[in-house]
Amino acid sequence: MMRFATTIFTAISAAVILAGCGASGDNQGTEYAPNMYHSVAYEPYTQIVDKEAGSWLTSIEYPDEHAEFFNTNQFNPNHMNMRLPAPNTVSRNKNGWLPYRLGKDSLAYAARTLKNPLDSTAAMIASGKLLYDMYCDHCHGAKGTGDGKVASGVTIEDPEKGKIEKGAYNGVANLTGDALKNISEGHIFHVITHGKGLMWPHGSQISVEDRWKISMYVKTLQK
Amino acid sequence: MSSDSRFVPLVLKTDTEPHMNKNFISSACKFFSLVFVFAFINFTSSAQEISTEPAAIKAGESLFNANCKACHAVKRKLVGPALGGVQDRAPSIQWIKDFVHNSSAVIKSGDEYAVKLYNEYNKTQMTSFTSLKDEDIMNILAYVKAENEKVEEVAAAPTGGQQQATQDTGLSGKYLNIVLIGLVIILLLLLIILGLIVSALKRFLDQKELSEEDREVVHSPISVGSITRSSGFIFIVVFLVAALGFKAVINSLFSIGVQQGYAPKQPIAFSHKIHAGQYEIDCKYCHVGATKGKNATIPSVNICMNCHNQIKQGSLTGEGEISKIVAAYENNRPIEWVRIHNLPDLAYFNHAQHVNVGNVECQTCHGPIETMDVVRQHSLLTMGWCIDCHRKTDVNTRGNAYYDNLVEIHNKTGKAPMKVEEIGGLECSKCHY
Repeated sequence: MMRFATTIFTAISAAVILAGCGASGDNQGTEYAPNMYHSVAYEPYTQIVDKEAGSWLTSIEYPDEHAEFFNTNQFNPNHMNMRLPAPNTVSRNKNGWLPYRLGKDSLAYAARTLKNPLDSTAAMIASGKLLYDMYCDHCHGAKGTGDGKVASGVTIEDPEKGKIEKGAYNGVANLTGDALKNISEGHIFHVITHGKGLMWPHGSQISVEDRWKISMYVKTLQK
Repeated sequence: MSSDSRFVPLVLKTDTEPHMNKNFISSACKFFSLVFVFAFINFTSSAQEISTEPAAIKAGESLFNANCKACHAVKRKLVGPALGGVQDRAPSIQWIKDFVHNSSAVIKSGDEYAVKLYNEYNKTQMTSFTSLKDEDIMNILAYVKAENEKVEEVAAAPTGGQQQATQDTGLSGKYLNIVLIGLVIILLLLLIILGLIVSALKRFLDQKELSEEDREVVHSPISVGSITRSSGFIFIVVFLVAALGFKAVINSLFSIGVQQGYAPKQPIAFSHKIHAGQYEIDCKYCHVGATKGKNATIPSVNICMNCHNQIKQGSLTGEGEISKIVAAYENNRPIEWVRIHNLPDLAYFNHAQHVNVGNVECQTCHGPIETMDVVRQHSLLTMGWCIDCHRKTDVNTRGNAYYDNLVEIHNKTGKAPMKVEEIGGLECSKCHY
């Protein structure tokens, strides 16, 4: 009888103690082999900024005055491991795309002179549609009429508060309207890159090639 | 021109009050008076009067949405001025028409009001809408006027809906309670009935002649102590507790190194439920790296600002949380989000591979992210979890010439579709190197 009681007691207390190992809320849980989990090299999204992290398994004196897990580049601002590319350099890829260099104020020039370097094929337009749905749909709407959910606002049925009207982003252009119907692909490309009116620039999110694909697809919406 | 603008309010009044034709009814012939009214209305509309006809407002609304909305709102200043009350502000209705048709010509003509506007709005020129006919512009003005006047009603409407909804939820809750209480009553009744049956049976047995042994069985005293002391009872209790304890220990041992359920507090209370769920913004609009590289990438502050340069008021947290984004943007400081999905450094994972080629939905691994106010690690992210998916998932080979030869070879061995496992999805060095 006594033995049973001790067994039960041990099992329960072990369960209680081990339950603290699981993750929930702010608790990340216990790691099994932390020194194999944390990158020693700088990783863009996993910087550990605590210099004491992992000191409990650091057996040698570290020359850099931090313990095992610390992996933040100390020479960058704001704990960042990533850096901006060196000035006056451009990234290159296999298709030879180079950055678009016309400034925001050259919209008229861009609209007049830029030509879409991509061939207008069905496959190209299809991938343009995919990109449009990804980057443009929520404001400009699936058909380009400027009626996306962000542009028109949404009404939510909340079980506690009833109907909630949620705000909208004003000033979303109707791409199929008369004002924009006849714009060139170069115009669209320039506006995606630098923004116009209330639209902010999207050049940082969408690559040059993808911007041309979207421009091509928008022209099909405007027909 | 200025005589026109003075004429407008006067005509407006006649149109909003159809009873005005009382004056004419007093004349002998009703028919003639009607004809006269129609003629009058026709005359006035050509003399630039803004209609309040629902048809005109409706037509105006669709024209406004198609052509004006990008730069103008009725009550707010956007790229261009708020249009509410423009008919009273502008020199004349004809001026509005000219400006819409060719704004640059009006500005070049040296029109004082036009030049003032042009300078006030940073010399941004309004697009010329030559395709809009005069009547289109009148319809748009009708819509703007109606919109400008109606706002109060709109603000009052949602509260009504709110009360309705709360009543609804109250009702369904009540039903649930009634059902539960009913069930409890039924169970109590059953207990009472069973008790009655037992005592009735006892009485029935007492009337019969029974042997001494049977009598003992019938009248054996039932006490809690006798049950708890029985070896069978102790065995069952010990077994259950030990089994549950064992299960709990094993479960928690397996949770070591697994961060499923990790939902840290973030520096900004960003809600995926609002952005991805309610506004249906594509995941990849912000996580632009998902189709391009190893990391899905956390959006930089300028991507937040694409919308939050304008949307400054959150529905749950007011200005508090959104102002943090603006502060980060203005001070050129990154937001230090807490990473949730920490794949160990010993394993390699690439988003682009899975999202582009594999066509795996974000939700397959990240769970119902569009319903989460606070993001939680949904999946185990253990090796077993990866392998399991690689064994079950068919390779998406359609329209991908890369797989043509592989599919051909695979089809010689059997008819089952090609799994990820069969193109090296279980090779150690694919993920560990």
